[in-house]
Amino acid sequence: MKKYLLKRIGVSIVTLLAILLILFCMLEFMPGSPFNDEKLTADQVAVLNAKYGLDKPTIVRFGNYIKNMLTGDFGVSYTISKNTPISTLLQSRLPISIRIGGQAVLLGTLIGLILGIIAALKHNTIWDTLTTIISVLGVSLPSYVFALLLSYSLGFKLKWFPLLYAVDSPLNSSVLPTVALCMFTVATIARFTRTEMLEVLGSDYMLLAESKGISGPQLIIKHALRNALIPIITVLAPLIVGLMTGSLVIEKIFSIPGIGSLLVTAIQSNDYNVIIALSFIYSAMYIGIILVVDILYGVIDPRIRLAKGDGNE
Amino acid sequence: MRKTKRVLALLCAAVMVFGLTACGGDSSKGDTNASLETAGGEAASTGNVLNVHIDVEVASMDPQIATDGTSFEVLAEVTEGLYSVDASGSPVMALADTVDKSEDGLTYTITLKDAKWSNGTAVTANDFVFAWRRLVDPAVASEYSFIASIAGFKNAAAITAGEKGIEDLGVTAVDDKTLKIELDTPVPFFESLLSFPSFLPVNEEFFTAAGANFGTSPETILSNGAFVMTSYEPAATTIELAKNPDYYAADSIALDGIKYQVIKDAQQAMLAYQNGDLDVATLSGEQVEQFKADPEFNNIMAGYLWYISPNQTVAGLENLNLRKALALCYDKAAIASNILKDGSIVADFAVPMLLATGPDGKDYRETSDTYLSTNKEEAQKYWEAAKKELGVDTLKYTMIVEDTESAQNVAQFIQAEIQTTLSGITIEIEVMPKKNRVERMQEGDFEIGLTRWGPDYADPMTYLDMWITGSPNNYGFWSNEKYDTIIDSCKKGELALDVDKRWEALKEAEKIAMDEVVIMPVYQKGDAVMIKSNVSGIEFHSVGVTRRYNNATKK
Repeated sequence: MKKYLLKRIGVSIVTLLAILLILFCMLEFMPGSPFNDEKLTADQVAVLNAKYGLDKPTIVRFGNYIKNMLTGDFGVSYTISKNTPISTLLQSRLPISIRIGGQAVLLGTLIGLILGIIAALKHNTIWDTLTTIISVLGVSLPSYVFALLLSYSLGFKLKWFPLLYAVDSPLNSSVLPTVALCMFTVATIARFTRTEMLEVLGSDYMLLAESKGISGPQLIIKHALRNALIPIITVLAPLIVGLMTGSLVIEKIFSIPGIGSLLVTAIQSNDYNVIIALSFIYSAMYIGIILVVDILYGVIDPRIRLAKGDGNE
Repeated sequence: MRKTKRVLALLCAAVMVFGLTACGGDSSKGDTNASLETAGGEAASTGNVLNVHIDVEVASMDPQIATDGTSFEVLAEVTEGLYSVDASGSPVMALADTVDKSEDGLTYTITLKDAKWSNGTAVTANDFVFAWRRLVDPAVASEYSFIASIAGFKNAAAITAGEKGIEDLGVTAVDDKTLKIELDTPVPFFESLLSFPSFLPVNEEFFTAAGANFGTSPETILSNGAFVMTSYEPAATTIELAKNPDYYAADSIALDGIKYQVIKDAQQAMLAYQNGDLDVATLSGEQVEQFKADPEFNNIMAGYLWYISPNQTVAGLENLNLRKALALCYDKAAIASNILKDGSIVADFAVPMLLATGPDGKDYRETSDTYLSTNKEEAQKYWEAAKKELGVDTLKYTMIVEDTESAQNVAQFIQAEIQTTLSGITIEIEVMPKKNRVERMQEGDFEIGLTRWGPDYADPMTYLDMWITGSPNNYGFWSNEKYDTIIDSCKKGELALDVDKRWEALKEAEKIAMDEVVIMPVYQKGDAVMIKSNVSGIEFHSVGVTRRYNNATKK
């Protein structure tokens, strides 16, 4: 187990370092600079490049960059918020993105589970069909369509929730973005839960449990759902990652001061340091989640470890 | 054994999910802190507060670092300079109390009104000296340092170039209330220029105490203007200002505060406007049609001139007849009214409308001619002449365009117009991000480019100065000795001293540039803005601070 863990962590670290290198190269080859503005003369651009160390040879800049990134110093923003350290920008923005993402995962999983269970229990009824329709819609419609629909209906027409995110009412104003963001999760989890539940419900041990006199909610929750849940955990990871990309659009629509909207603005304005810092953070989160899931696999199913030649402890 | 592992797995999953929510918990604590900090801005959330839509974040609250319109807009409400402009765009004294101009126009002695910063200290002449030295200081590397040379400040250019120290700048604090400004050359639009946000004062003591955090929070932003900052952080999506009770003209301010809301999605912005969350909202081009008939719809003339720049070092484009043919062949009226629809107007000129008022008190355009008006028959005649002179029947050029929707639409229309009117000419369009387009044009790596220019000050020179020989914005590499001489004399020669003659000379320069088709004007940009019917008094300008709210009222 230990060896497997170490190996997985090692691979993750190497991946992160490779991402650092790729990010640097990509920005190196990107045409234009943060200071290409029609108002700036060549002399001024030279002064600005010198000020931010962009005039140094590539190899020197790469050395500085790796050193800074590994010590957590992301540098300053060039254009979005001039001369502001990126750590300052992230301080207030990262928690907001994570919170709304977290809310979406929780809500999406919960609703998805409930829908999935209902569909499985009421197999081949109108409820099952309804759940399937919701699943298909949730998977096929992009989150910004839901965002606009929700804004118009619940926000503008019914006035139940504010249209825009407000820092002083973080719960109420994050309802619409959370719901818009969680639709894909709802759909995917519902589909998986339904399939898994149907399989579990038809299994021998369910028959045994039933014949032992267990029934009602206890039978469903303790025996059926718990066994059905395990494969669902494995789809949760890619879903969380999916939420991160979904947040780019959702944050823009609801004016959420998170890192998703920041990344979009940074790319549009060639704000190198912000792009690098955010891409790095997104990558780290992605790799972190995959690592956790891989480890969970190992814990859940010893066969995975056995297959890799690492014996059961 | 197997069972325990399953339980463990479930536990891990639960931890994973709840870990995310735990972070959420932290952030709401952070939010509480943030709202505590802004408790002073309580007034800003209720009552007579103007809710304004902005479509981009404020890039800097440091007057000498800020370069974009949104930053200028917020800076101007919080900080007051020596001059501001009235509703018509003419300079009016703000913090300046008396102004004494020497006969040769080279020395200004300005006394200051009694005004206070929001921390109670008095606004002094040194606040201006300190700010203006920062503006030209190469160590600060202000992107707008050039504006100090345009204002004519003695030694400004040499200091920015690193040849002289900042203490050599021709600006001195005679005493706390008296500022002496020495110029290298007389500048006819000097007062108007001083209303530009780069010239806003900064208190040295406060700046030094705030250090690197200057201008990043309500605590590190000092105000001497109509409003004080109550909620702000770098790249904030909401910015709140409250009326400044210590402002010297506080009685004239009707609003209790201003709340700026960044909304980048145009559809959501209009929904918020209709929902009553916003009092002022900017429409995107495609929304104009939908709201045009609304009584709250307003068209605002902006200073931006969009034009095509032909690179005269490219074979064929050095030919005047070809340039004339190209400039006359596309229907500008159709571009303004069918493609843009946002109140943009046809540009038959190189200096936009409502930019500058002359010594006669009239707008520059009112007394000057129009040039290069669309005329397809004429265009074909010029094309025939060009074919003979160049000895060709077909020509092919690539037009570079930035990737905004409106620029691409306009470019495609012009492409079709050229190709149908001037048979034999093929135009290809190359789309790229704006920063790339600017880089390509500055390096001369293009054939034809669709570009724009926004004015920096209220004088035709902000446009005409672009086309002198060797100017970095003279993308087409055009050169004309007579033109250079006129511009040079208007800037620092004998014409600089005679405002009437200078004004006529500027018109002559524009005529030369247009006759030679240095650029092919397309349109002057209009903006479409929705303003609630209970709001009045918002002032719009085409130069510098484009929107002012200090005279606005909300009933």
